[in-house]
Order: sequence, then structure tokens, then C-alpha cells
Amino acid sequence: MSSQAIKTTTIQREQKKFILLMLAPATILMLALTLFPFLVSLYLSFTDYSLIKPDEVNGIGVKNYATLLNSPDFWTSVRVTLVFTISAVAVQTVLGVGIAALLHHETRQAPWLRVIYLLPMAITPIAATFTFRLMFNPSLGVFNYFLTSLGFPPSAWTASPEFALFSLILVDTWQWTPFILLIVMGGMAALPPEPEEASAMDGAGPFRTFFWVILPQLKPYLALALLFRLIDAFKTFDIIFVLTGGGPGILTRTLNLLAYKHGIEFLSMGYASAIAIIMLIFTLFVGQIFLRRLNLFDLKD
Amino acid sequence: MKLKSRLYAVWLPRLILYVFAIWCLFPLYWIFLTSLKTPVQALSRPPMFWFEPTLDNFAKVIQNPDIWSYFLSSTIVAGGSSLLGLLIGAPTAYILARYKFRGRGDFGFWLLSTRMTPPVAMLIPFFVMFSWLGLMDTHIGLILAHVMLNLSIVVWLLRGFFAELPVEIEEASALDGDTYFQTFWRITLPLAMPGLISVGILIFLLSWNEFLFALVLGDSAVRTVPIGLYSFIGYQTIAWAELSASATLLIIPIIIFILIFQRHLIRGLTMGAYR
Repeated sequence: MSSQAIKTTTIQREQKKFILLMLAPATILMLALTLFPFLVSLYLSFTDYSLIKPDEVNGIGVKNYATLLNSPDFWTSVRVTLVFTISAVAVQTVLGVGIAALLHHETRQAPWLRVIYLLPMAITPIAATFTFRLMFNPSLGVFNYFLTSLGFPPSAWTASPEFALFSLILVDTWQWTPFILLIVMGGMAALPPEPEEASAMDGAGPFRTFFWVILPQLKPYLALALLFRLIDAFKTFDIIFVLTGGGPGILTRTLNLLAYKHGIEFLSMGYASAIAIIMLIFTLFVGQIFLRRLNLFDLKD
Repeated sequence: MKLKSRLYAVWLPRLILYVFAIWCLFPLYWIFLTSLKTPVQALSRPPMFWFEPTLDNFAKVIQNPDIWSYFLSSTIVAGGSSLLGLLIGAPTAYILARYKFRGRGDFGFWLLSTRMTPPVAMLIPFFVMFSWLGLMDTHIGLILAHVMLNLSIVVWLLRGFFAELPVEIEEASALDGDTYFQTFWRITLPLAMPGLISVGILIFLLSWNEFLFALVLGDSAVRTVPIGLYSFIGYQTIAWAELSASATLLIIPIIIFILIFQRHLIRGLTMGAYR
């Protein structure tokens, strides 16, 4: 073997050692804090483990899953979760993209408008939720004051069976429309100006230019925004927990709240783990589709 | 004609943008307004928009020692978890940005998938594990939980910053005989400092705002600001003016923080869509 070849192999070995050492801290920590809990969760989902009787763990096979899939409560939660997630994200996307398009052509006011738009998603969510609770109050709240001033009947908002889910979607939309807006706006700023100019030269109006020229180029940004919004909306907790607690009845009880209720309030960890595992499978499935198919983060080896 | 087209092209869009800005600001304006009312004014029907403002509510709530302990807990947890997150995340981000190795895609996907996990899926085993290990109601327990929640964001954002640094400087350092680690520590990290600061600011905010884990893992002994706020809302009471003052007091520092660091936050929260 020539000395050159020996040198290359030492370099390669050095490099390999370096890579492993650099990846070690994050890998070890995340294995301990995510993979291990996941395995615990998976194991618990096949048991009747309850913190009420912590010394007793019996394997009960797939009984938790069977009970769950046969329980109408579970399917109500599935429906509520899907309605909440899909309608909230749909409204936010339309609003966010529309306003981003307007903001893109606004040069003078854009900097400070952007700061205002940042506030809803950056402010402590519980604080915002508290204000909405104040404003939703049926007798004293400012929302009903606006409604009645405009000639509409007052609403019970979060306490009403018809409007509870709508109220939650409203709060989520307040909080997260700016997220889609800012991502799309960042994307638009990065686009080359030529196609837009060419389209305007050809006599296309601003709407046609936007839908046929700009929007297709924004696909990667929109996909990124949608991926994060869908996953975050799916696991929304704070606003639902504080504003309705899943009520009235179980009309706004999402899967997340169902799992919380069984796990943290009723302490039946086995059953709650089964709900959590089903949620996890669902999100990983959606995530796989987005990340692998669209290769959003350049994840290829 | 000229005037009309200017109306459509400039002023109509601007009007919509202003209305959206008012919608974004209104809840914050409302809580601030309520905090300046007397208890009676806060309960008036219809709600009052114009009145003689009073600072009595603030005078009352700053005497509540709990408020200061919420700030202290939040500062420890958010500070600790963002420093630890950067320390652990930066080396991984650097490797993902600079080296190709077998399994890189799967490793990256695994890290990102931790961001997608529904928190309840992690919360229940954390609850069980922390009960066994005696980490319930401790700062360190909550710090670890927040590092777990935010590490994927640290790695993905920093990876972008590292990938944009010119590789030539590192090659020069390697030619000077520096080891890989010396190059990373002495050359790359200082160059990436703006990125480290941006990401650190973002995860500080995310940790500060986090609710579910703080509620379950820290509740009785380690109360962060969101949990403190929740304890105010928790009981059904009509002391709205006073509650609003407490809430305002807890929000003001974070609003100042957001205004100071808005550029970093926008870049971070939008996953680097702004470069």
C-alpha cells in the first residue's frame, strides 16, 4: 500500500470519528427523550397501567385499541379534530396568501405592518386566550356588543353548541394567519422579478398574474407552511383547553384533549397512550408524505 | 381616471392591510384597556371605550409576590433550555450542513419527526418517567422537556446558517493543521454567531410561551408565566380589571422582547423563509 493511500484512510477514519462525536450529544439526548418515551408509550398502550394503582400492570393485548375504535366518543373526537384542523388551516391559508400578496406590493408601510402581524403568533398564547375569553363573554364581552350594534342577535360563543368550535377556529385564525402570511411573503421576496414583469407586459391584470405566474412559484413555501400548520393545528391544546375545555359536552373535544383527559385527569395511562399512538401514526404518515415526496428540507442522502 | 386607478392600486390594498393590522392588535388593546378600568367600569354594559384611566389595578397586583416568582421560573427554564438546546443542536446542524454520510436522510427525518409528534404522546411517558426519576416539579425536568420539544428547530435552522458559510475558510484552517473540531470551534462557530443568536432568541420565546408540559411537569412548584396566567383565568371570577392588569403585566416584557428581536423572530418562526 502506498503512503498516499494510508494517509487517505487515516483521514477518513478521523473524519468518521469526528462526525460520530458531533452527532452524539443530540442523538443520545433525543433517543432518551423521544425514542424511549415512545417505546414506553407503545408498551403502556398494550397494558391497563393506571397511576391510581401504579403497582399493577397487566398486559391486555390490543384491548385498549379495540375499546377505543368501538367508542363513539373517540370518533366524535376524530371528527372534531379533523373539522377544526382543516377549516382553521383552510381559512388561514386563503387569508394569509391574500394579505401576503397585498403586502408584497406595499413598500412604504411593510416594515411596521410586519411587526404588528408578528404579534399574534409570538405573544404568549395563554395571554391571548385570556383576552379572547374576556371578549367572548356573553353578557359583557365586546364581541356581542359589536354583533348587537350591527343588528345581529348576541351569541354564547364558546358556550354555545353551534358556535363553540367556530369560536376556537376564530382564535386559531387570529393567532396563526400571520404565520402563513409571513412565510409566503418571504417566498415572494425571494422570487425573481422577471416572470411577473413579463406577465404584466403581456397585459395580464394583477389577479391573473398572481394566480398563474406567482402562485405556482410559491409552491415549496406554501407546502412548508401547510405542513407546519396542519401538524400544529392537529395538536392544538392551549386555546381549546382554556376556552372550552372540550365542551359544551364533548363538542370541541379533540383527540389531544381526549388523551389528556384519560391520561392526566383519569390517570389511565394505558388507554391514553393508545390514543397518543394513533395520533402519532397519523402525523408521521402526513409528515412522511410532505417531507419525502416534496423533499422540502433537502433530506436525500 | 388617474385618481381612480390609484385608489384601486394603492389605497384599497392599504385599507385591507390596516384592517388586518387592527384585527391583530385588537385583543392586546382590549386587555390593556380593561386593565386601566375600575372594577365597576370593567363590568359595564355595553363595554366602555372612553373613560378616566386608573393605575389602581397595577398598584394592587405588583404587590402579589407570585408574579415575580413566575418571571423567575420562566427565565430559568427558557434561558436554560435555549442554552442547552444550542449547545447540543449546533454540532449536529454543522455535520448535517457539511458532511454527507450514510443514513443522513433517515437521521434528518427522525429529528424532524420529533417536531411532529403530538405532545400528549410524549407527555404521558414523560409524566410516568419523571415520576420515577423524581424530576417532577423541578426546573431541570422542564428544561429537558423543552430541549426535547425545540431541538429539531435548532438543528434545522442552524443547518441553514452553516450551509451558507463559505467552506473555503474552513479548508484554509484545515490546511494550517487544525483538527476538525478546532476548525468547528474556532472558525465556524464565531462566524455563525448571528445565526446562533437568532435561533437562541426564537427558542427562548418558544420555551417561555410553552403551556402543556409546564402545566403537567412543573405545576405546583415551578410555575412559569403561562401557568401563572392560567391560574388567574382558572377560577371563575369577575375581578376582570385586576386580572387584566396581572395579564398585562405578564405580557409587557414579552411584547418588548418581540419588538426588539422582531427580525430574528420572523426569520426563525418562518423557518428561514427570509434570508
